[in-house]
Amino acid sequence: MLKLTINGKEIEVAPGTNLVEAAHQAGAEVPHYCYHPGLSIAGQCRLCMVEIEKNPKLQIGCNTQAAEGMVVHTESERVVDTRRSIMEFHLVNHPLDCPVCDQAGECWLQIYYMRHGLYDSRMTDEKVHKPKAVPLGPHVMLDAERCILCSRCVRFCDEITHTGELGIFNRGDHSEIGLFPGQDLTNKYSANVVDICPVGALTDRDFRFQVRVWYLDTAKSICTGCARGCNIDVHVNRRRMHHAHGRRVARLKPRFNAEVNHWWLCDEGRYGFGFVDEANRVKVPTRREGDREVEIDWDEAVAAITDLLGRHNADEIGIIASPKMANEDLAAVRRLAERRGLRHVGFRVPPRTAGYEDDFLIRADKNPNTRGAELIGLDGDTAAVLAAARGGRLRCLWVFDHDLFDSAWPEAEVEAALRGITTVIWTGTNANRTSAVAHLVLPAAAWVEREGTFTNFQGRVQRFRAALDPLASALPEWDLVGRVLAAMGDTPIPARAEQWFAEAVRGVPAFAGMTYRSVGDTGQMADVEQAVRR
Amino acid sequence: MTPTLGAPSSPSPTAVAFSPEQVAEVRRLQSLYPDPRGALLMVLHMAQDTFGYISLETEAYVAGLFNLAPAHVHEVVTFYTMYFQKPKGRHVLGICHNLSCFLAGAPSIIAHAQERLGIDVGETTPDGRITLQSVECLCACEHAPMMQVDDRYEFDLTPDKVDGLLRALP
Amino acid sequence: MSEIVLMRNFDRADSHTLAAYRQTGGYTAWEKAQSMAPAAIIDEIKQSKLRGLGGAGFPTGTKWSFIPQGHQGPVYLVINADEGEPGTFKDRYLLERDPHALVEGMLITMRAIRGAKGFVYIRGEYVQPHRVFSDAVREAYEAGILGHGYDIVVHRGAGAYICGEETGLISSLEGKKGWPKLKPPFPAIKGAFGSPTIVNNVETISCVPPILNRGAAWFAALGSATQGGTRMYSVSGRVKRPGVYEASCAVTLRQLIYDYAGGVSASGRLKAVVPGGSSSAVLSADQIDVTMDVDGLMKVGSMIGSAGVIVMDESVSMPQALMVLTRFYAHESCGQCTPCRETTGWIHKMVSRVVHGEGRKEDLDTILDVARRASGTTICAFYDGAVGPYISYVEKFRSEFEALIPK
Repeated sequence: MLKLTINGKEIEVAPGTNLVEAAHQAGAEVPHYCYHPGLSIAGQCRLCMVEIEKNPKLQIGCNTQAAEGMVVHTESERVVDTRRSIMEFHLVNHPLDCPVCDQAGECWLQIYYMRHGLYDSRMTDEKVHKPKAVPLGPHVMLDAERCILCSRCVRFCDEITHTGELGIFNRGDHSEIGLFPGQDLTNKYSANVVDICPVGALTDRDFRFQVRVWYLDTAKSICTGCARGCNIDVHVNRRRMHHAHGRRVARLKPRFNAEVNHWWLCDEGRYGFGFVDEANRVKVPTRREGDREVEIDWDEAVAAITDLLGRHNADEIGIIASPKMANEDLAAVRRLAERRGLRHVGFRVPPRTAGYEDDFLIRADKNPNTRGAELIGLDGDTAAVLAAARGGRLRCLWVFDHDLFDSAWPEAEVEAALRGITTVIWTGTNANRTSAVAHLVLPAAAWVEREGTFTNFQGRVQRFRAALDPLASALPEWDLVGRVLAAMGDTPIPARAEQWFAEAVRGVPAFAGMTYRSVGDTGQMADVEQAVRR
Repeated sequence: MTPTLGAPSSPSPTAVAFSPEQVAEVRRLQSLYPDPRGALLMVLHMAQDTFGYISLETEAYVAGLFNLAPAHVHEVVTFYTMYFQKPKGRHVLGICHNLSCFLAGAPSIIAHAQERLGIDVGETTPDGRITLQSVECLCACEHAPMMQVDDRYEFDLTPDKVDGLLRALP
Repeated sequence: MSEIVLMRNFDRADSHTLAAYRQTGGYTAWEKAQSMAPAAIIDEIKQSKLRGLGGAGFPTGTKWSFIPQGHQGPVYLVINADEGEPGTFKDRYLLERDPHALVEGMLITMRAIRGAKGFVYIRGEYVQPHRVFSDAVREAYEAGILGHGYDIVVHRGAGAYICGEETGLISSLEGKKGWPKLKPPFPAIKGAFGSPTIVNNVETISCVPPILNRGAAWFAALGSATQGGTRMYSVSGRVKRPGVYEASCAVTLRQLIYDYAGGVSASGRLKAVVPGGSSSAVLSADQIDVTMDVDGLMKVGSMIGSAGVIVMDESVSMPQALMVLTRFYAHESCGQCTPCRETTGWIHKMVSRVVHGEGRKEDLDTILDVARRASGTTICAFYDGAVGPYISYVEKFRSEFEALIPK
């Protein structure tokens, strides 16, 4: 560690720390555009100038490493004055079209102008014109006039995805970012360039013009797209729903986690929330009567399930839980299985095709909580459950979330299995072919509508928070299962997700000592080795 | 995390291609540099000499020879003034308009050439014979006003001398 | 008139050939150097007071000594033959008329910096100089001068002034856009292809063989107190005999204009002089009694730069002359740093407006303020070079600009 003084405050930083980061540690924010901690140093925006005593010229903070005894000023008159000039230069050819710009409200040109600019424009000549509203690919839209040429997006494609689609073409004030003509920005992480674009040059085609960002609410969450469990923020539009035709989830944004995803998120995960507001959401419990589905209330649904579980022998009841369920839900399912002594319990339904995987973030396992389901002890042989059903040995099967038809299992076998069962209970968010043949269909809350934890492939337990209320009558699975347990006379029944998590912790040695508080915003590693030792 | 998400996209099948001898020359040039990419400017010169100008197809082809993303070749082609992205005339006239030539009457030389050729700076004669440019300092200020005609410098220009040079160009 | 060192062979029709170079003592300095320790060569160059002749004027021997001692792996010598500073045309002569002086200078320099490979970056438009120099390199290989542990690669640029900036040149040599690189790291630590690299101008390295042959003291004595040697002054514009003149670094601007270049042409009355290429601040007629070395021009707020002298007589419109230069800097800004990218174009628009009679009274102050505020904020020296003319033309000839602005 080495000591330096920033704005009169002495701090210690690790060797190699640059002055933007060091200043941050000292509580001083040095404005910057091109610097991004996940990318190489470009040093071209020239905004992060700081004053270093004994150095006659101001230096850019991003390319200056802290040194022992250095005395740095980030708010001296000279620095503030230079910063103001650089801000003016950034806006010389900028169209100043904030009223029609989707970035407004989260634009670093706006933010820094308000903090560090506040001059009257002296540029009265015709500005340089460049291409506008250019789709770069399925997810990203470019407005080259708004671009400040910080090169973050170019460096992202060079250094993170190694796909090199973007470049800065021409020179001088005609420089512009773009693709090789005829090529598209289609790498699997393309929309990250929108996140790292500090201005309105790159915007998200899915999010564009949906809602002003100041109407958004945010909840910390976890991506459910695969077993990585990338940390995200869910941005929801509760206040201006009419602006987005009733769509509640506006967008997902990656949330930094040094152990999981750093700053990044894949496109598949980012745009994987569509089901939340889709028309096929299951809204209320229903019971099949002949060809009809009859709406029932939760009390009736819970009574029906309790009756079924009580009426049949434990051997005649099967449960196929899901690796998309949270640890809390799975803890409830486990308790149910234990209370009734069920042995036809599992969670794995093999996917029809192997999932895509790379050596960056994307995992082949497209479920967020396979690891949790394993640790909680629900890893029974689902193929055997299905075989039992086909053999006429099951009376009741409770399927959580899965569509058994959309799997590697032959359709005919699934069909034969379901036909052999007297009562199929299905719980999930969106109707599918399995729910279509179920006798009881029960709406589950989507992950953004509730809280819970997932355990990612590394064994990292991570919390997700509720961003929305559950749709219509939907309930978190732990709540539904808890109601059934209560009806069966079991006690005490946890009333909150956190209490179910505590139950999971009690039952899973690998989770020992964990609480919602200890898991926090960045997760906590399960003691996976201990689980193996046992 | 050190991702390798795939090699840069390879160029599409193309009609643009060097001869085997030229490809061998490309490889020789690449071997002169610690990183083969060092030869990119030289190979782009070769490509322009061979194909007349550097089309997008040519850029993609050259990108393939260097295992580079085409966008990175496009960056280079658009950065330097000597690479033509559109077909040029059989001859290129670059009249210097920088300070010493300006002081020696370059504006009137440029005006004269425009009038004689019937085109503006930046244009090519309809018969494809001549592309006219006005360019920054070519560093032959002692002979201002001057210009570059294809590969050679022409010094101490006068309207008459320009006329003579134009007549001599096939 | 001082001794002619660099241009001594220029009058010979065959001066570019190995035979002619050998007849006049060529490659004897290299022979001598081979018996010298690298550190001794660097010391000799330091004592000669040779300074970079491309523009920055940095002491050459000191630059060479920045190569890390005991570095394992390649060290490169890169010759900046991307001559492009408006008003400068000396390297063209050296490449065409004495290419072997550069080859020999490179050999000695490579030995001094413990490098085995040299690159010569010749601007793309210099087709003829490229041919002549490449032929000389071929001759040197055929004669066995090159190839025994020392190689030279001749590289062509493709049209970009910024590649004359040493790190822009390195980027371009690496096959990229000529974007200058962040410093630190400096090229001597991490330069071309990531290896320690010395970048020197053609003329600078052409001075090396005579220094070794005749001694540092002799060379130092040719020049001024702080800059040794003679150098080649390019003189153009409104003079009677434009051309390249070799003179002592202690020569005055007045001598160059009147004694060497025959005096002012056109109106015959001197108005202004660019002393060191377009990027140096323009001098008024009363500022020409300065020595044409690094220190002399620094004293009058300008710079010797590449020693490209452009003379303007009373009939020249200074606003028009500035507009020619603002167009140049706007065209040549590489676009990397925001202040340079955005204000070179903006200033050109303002100056053009003034020249075309559409100026506003606040324009001149805006030009000065913007230029001052943006100077010193960029990665490379290009912008500060542009600021030289921006400020000096407007400040020294303000009334000419004001006269064009509608009341």
